Amino acid sequence: MTGLGAYLRFEVLRLLRNPRYVAITLGFPVVFYSLFLHNLQPAEHVAGTTWNAYFMVSMASFGAVVAALNAGGTRLAAERSSGWTRQLSVTPLPAWSYVATKIAATMVIALPVICVVELTGLLIGAVRLGLETWIVLTAVLWASTLPFVVLGVLVGFVASSETAYPLVTALMFLLSFFGGLFTPVRDMPVVLRHVADFLPTYHGASLGWAVVAGRAPGVRDAGILVVYALCLGLAVNWRHRAEETRALA
Amino acid sequence: MKLRYESLRPGDADGGPVVRFSRVLHRYGSLVALDHVDLEVARGETVALLGPNGAGKSTAISILLGLQQAQEGTVSVLGTDPRSAMAAGRVGAMLQVGGGSGLPYGVKVGELVAMASRLYRHSARVERTLARAGLNGLADRQTQRLSGGQAQRVRFALAIAGNPDLVFLDEPTVAMDVEGRRTFWGMMRGFAAEGRTVVFATHHLDEADAVADRIVVLRKGAVVADGAASTIKATVATRRLRFVSKGADPARLRELDGVDAATVRGSEVVLDSLDADATVRSLVASGMAFSDIEVTGADLEQAFVRLTGDLAEVKTVDDAIAGRLRGTRSRTLA
Repeated sequence: MTGLGAYLRFEVLRLLRNPRYVAITLGFPVVFYSLFLHNLQPAEHVAGTTWNAYFMVSMASFGAVVAALNAGGTRLAAERSSGWTRQLSVTPLPAWSYVATKIAATMVIALPVICVVELTGLLIGAVRLGLETWIVLTAVLWASTLPFVVLGVLVGFVASSETAYPLVTALMFLLSFFGGLFTPVRDMPVVLRHVADFLPTYHGASLGWAVVAGRAPGVRDAGILVVYALCLGLAVNWRHRAEETRALA
Repeated sequence: MKLRYESLRPGDADGGPVVRFSRVLHRYGSLVALDHVDLEVARGETVALLGPNGAGKSTAISILLGLQQAQEGTVSVLGTDPRSAMAAGRVGAMLQVGGGSGLPYGVKVGELVAMASRLYRHSARVERTLARAGLNGLADRQTQRLSGGQAQRVRFALAIAGNPDLVFLDEPTVAMDVEGRRTFWGMMRGFAAEGRTVVFATHHLDEADAVADRIVVLRKGAVVADGAASTIKATVATRRLRFVSKGADPARLRELDGVDAATVRGSEVVLDSLDADATVRSLVASGMAFSDIEVTGADLEQAFVRLTGDLAEVKTVDDAIAGRLRGTRSRTLA
């Protein structure tokens, strides 16, 4: 299994070396957070917590979504078309390791993204939470990144290297906007509130919003995320197998 | 300086074939890609799978790599099944990658080769692999800044990073220029000279002729010839006769002894003959006027066209030899 470790390290390194990737995954959430703080009262209360804490959770979720979709989607589609996935298929690595390593590497990257947004909240948003709450919040947000990582991989398998980028960008903003990461869901029209209830972005952030408000994370939210992760995982598995078969015909 | 095989592993001393393909049948729908193919490759051999597109070369290689399961027949690689041989890290491969470079971007060549080396239990030193693939000066180059030929060499480095006993190359020089191909085969031969077994697919006759110890000619999924290039050349359409003759009748020319094919272009006549002596004798006896006769040996291309062209019905080299010995004048050898 040393081979898998080397491959995982290699994938993480490649993500970190990509300046565009690092700039958008860290830049978008941190800049949005900083911008929207200046326009609002820090003490304004939203869903049982301050706006700064609430919006910190929103932007940490957003950062994780950006990190997840961009790592999988665009890059994976490019690697499929360049033939790198085929090259990997003739190494001792088992067939599942390409997808598994993509998911693991993206999860590794998502953690510091969440932490950087939290740090921004702490430093410029003056968000004050107990140490235990910070840890639970980080863990909850990190775990809820998984469905998006899998979604990113699925986009990489479904899209071509040309269509992946616009598709990822569209998904990233649509999921985030309608999931209430930019505007709180309670300020949305009723129809959109129902839409939000279908989106994993909303349920992922809800877990974090609950933690900063001192509530227990919702079981329903967690359950919906698990169902998303499983369904997307099955879809990835199906596409991956279809691809393997087709590449040979 | 004589190159030596870096690490002989226990169990490598057995003399059995490295690759064994027995009665392998594989279909895609109604298309028969491999039609009961038998093939054995001995340790240390460099074998070319030669054939036109669609002859079954890539299918054979992907079955040998365990990427596909043969629908019928048995396949063994290094004494085990293809997947186990691959998982054990004893097989390296360069596949066709279509239009892409086949490489991931955002890494240096040296890092990529180092990562690939860590996937294998008995890998060669990274510096050694880079040197073998002619990448000494390129270790610090980003993969997206490589030329097509350089990327191809990096893919060769990935194929040999694990110090494999056996290497499969599927049309490795496709889209390379003449110089690139020459350099590539020079490296490949150096690697093969260390005692490795190399099986490569190509539709370039000159490559098969220059590089391989043995050529296996595939046509529509069947092996139509198997032997050294010289054997294949010698056994198929052995001689080509050219002469000048006014108003020659192709139908009559084809009736001459040993003639397999006749082409008439103005006053120039070209005959492919399985027995040049008999053809000349029967040409003289026919009373046809001719001059400037010239007899040349068939080249590999003639042999290849004969073996794989739609007109050729030659099934095996043995049949061709048998046909020649019979001095047959028939155009088709059953």
